[in-house]
Amino acid sequence: MKHVVFELFANLRKLAGTEELRVEAGDAVLSVGDALTLLARERPELAASLERCACVSGDTIVRRVDALPADGRIALLPPVAGG
Amino acid sequence: MSFDDVISAEPIAVEPLLALDEYPECGGLAMFVGTVRDHHEGRAVSRLAYTAHGPLAAKIIREVEATTRARFGVPYCRVRHRVGELGIGDVAIVCVVRAPHRAEAFEACRYAVDAVKHGAPIWKEEFYVDGTSAFVEGCCIRDDFDDHAAHDHSHTSHDHA
Repeated sequence: MKHVVFELFANLRKLAGTEELRVEAGDAVLSVGDALTLLARERPELAASLERCACVSGDTIVRRVDALPADGRIALLPPVAGG
Repeated sequence: MSFDDVISAEPIAVEPLLALDEYPECGGLAMFVGTVRDHHEGRAVSRLAYTAHGPLAAKIIREVEATTRARFGVPYCRVRHRVGELGIGDVAIVCVVRAPHRAEAFEACRYAVDAVKHGAPIWKEEFYVDGTSAFVEGCCIRDDFDDHAAHDHSHTSHDHA
């Protein structure tokens, strides 16, 4: 069974109470979006926040339609202050 | 990869960023220094904590510097952002632009600061005098909202003052 590790930042880290979340992913989990759907199912209290997060692999923003990163790690970046 | 020169856990030294001994063709230097203010949307703020996704924040800041130089035809643009615990009046961000003339220096400086504020993954957690705290969330970094959601790009808590 492969795993996806989500690195959490800012308010998402506060909501989840942890810096990382590890979920078991079946073979049907192929894309970044698939992994997020899985996370939202396992942690429904985070689902609304996930929608507004950017996903990052290494130092690169990845999109929901992109393939799951080879290292199975996705950083979840909530909105920034902006002002 | 190191990002310590762009995203700084230590106070930012302004003087070394000015590059006054270089760029003899430049007659203008514009600088913006963002400091921690003591209020937000009517609430009294006692201190802040900035956190960042270091690798992407540094990459985006370097990209903004390069874009600014190209777009405004200026030879020098540097942006530095603090992370960690900051008190009221502490320096959070510094942007320096050198340009042949003042008009493009001002414009380029403003562009670079706005671009970093909107695009770099650096979060501000405000601590209020009543003992509570909150992350200020105004701008999604996410760029792949589908069409029906694309117009939801929210600026609700977005203070440009």
